[in-house]
Amino acid sequence: MPRFSQKQYEGRVLVAMALYTLCMLVEWPLVRTVASLPLKCLLALVPVLPMIYVIALMARRIRDSDELERQMHLIGLGISTALVGAASLVGGFLSVAHVLKLDGSVLIWIFPGLMFCYGLARWLVARRYGAGAFCESDAGSAKYALFVLAGGALLLVAWLGRAHLDDVRLGFLCGVGMGLMALGAAFFIAQRRRRARGGE
Amino acid sequence: MNNLIRELRAERGWSQAELAQQLDVSRQTINAIETGKYDPSLPLAFKIARLFGMPIEMIFVPGEE
Repeated sequence: MPRFSQKQYEGRVLVAMALYTLCMLVEWPLVRTVASLPLKCLLALVPVLPMIYVIALMARRIRDSDELERQMHLIGLGISTALVGAASLVGGFLSVAHVLKLDGSVLIWIFPGLMFCYGLARWLVARRYGAGAFCESDAGSAKYALFVLAGGALLLVAWLGRAHLDDVRLGFLCGVGMGLMALGAAFFIAQRRRRARGGE
Repeated sequence: MNNLIRELRAERGWSQAELAQQLDVSRQTINAIETGKYDPSLPLAFKIARLFGMPIEMIFVPGEE
């Protein structure tokens, strides 16, 4: 069976994330305007579909990984589960004790938090095994451009929709867009440095 | 554990990517094995030995305990 390449994985995740962003910008605001409960539920859960697709892609990527990659995925997932689980417990107990005021919407951040911690932990583990930054695949193709492009697309959407978007959404788009572009720039610099050092 | 994979690969003129493809692993894994940062599993070690046509103990040498 051919291995599920990093390029295929990233391409599909990008499509899923684009769909998710589209759902959040176009479809999700309709939730507040609909009175029917079943329709409200349906509209509220539509953004979950691309996320479930991303989880399935991750599962396939791990299944098709070699032994070292699996070890790195396992460590990354273990660290992220421990950190986010501990943070959830702390937040939950403080909320029950009325020390911290948390509403149900905080649950939305658990999955992104898990993914962020997983990505960071996996990157750190990969460095331990001598890998460079994750801006270079096995084929050596640069990925910093993808981050810059994705960030630029979000900033463009923010600029085009600035008259219709509320402050929260506009701020979210600008923040994520700038963050992605900054990551792309950091990866580009890291790649240039690595090439200057003359790796294989 | 020390190994001679880098030397054997160089003798054959293979890049890390080419060796990785023949072993169905990532280039990163080959790099980690060559630099001694990762010790392969027994099945992968046997696969490497078979590919180079050498006994496993000629390729992998135990390091200092």
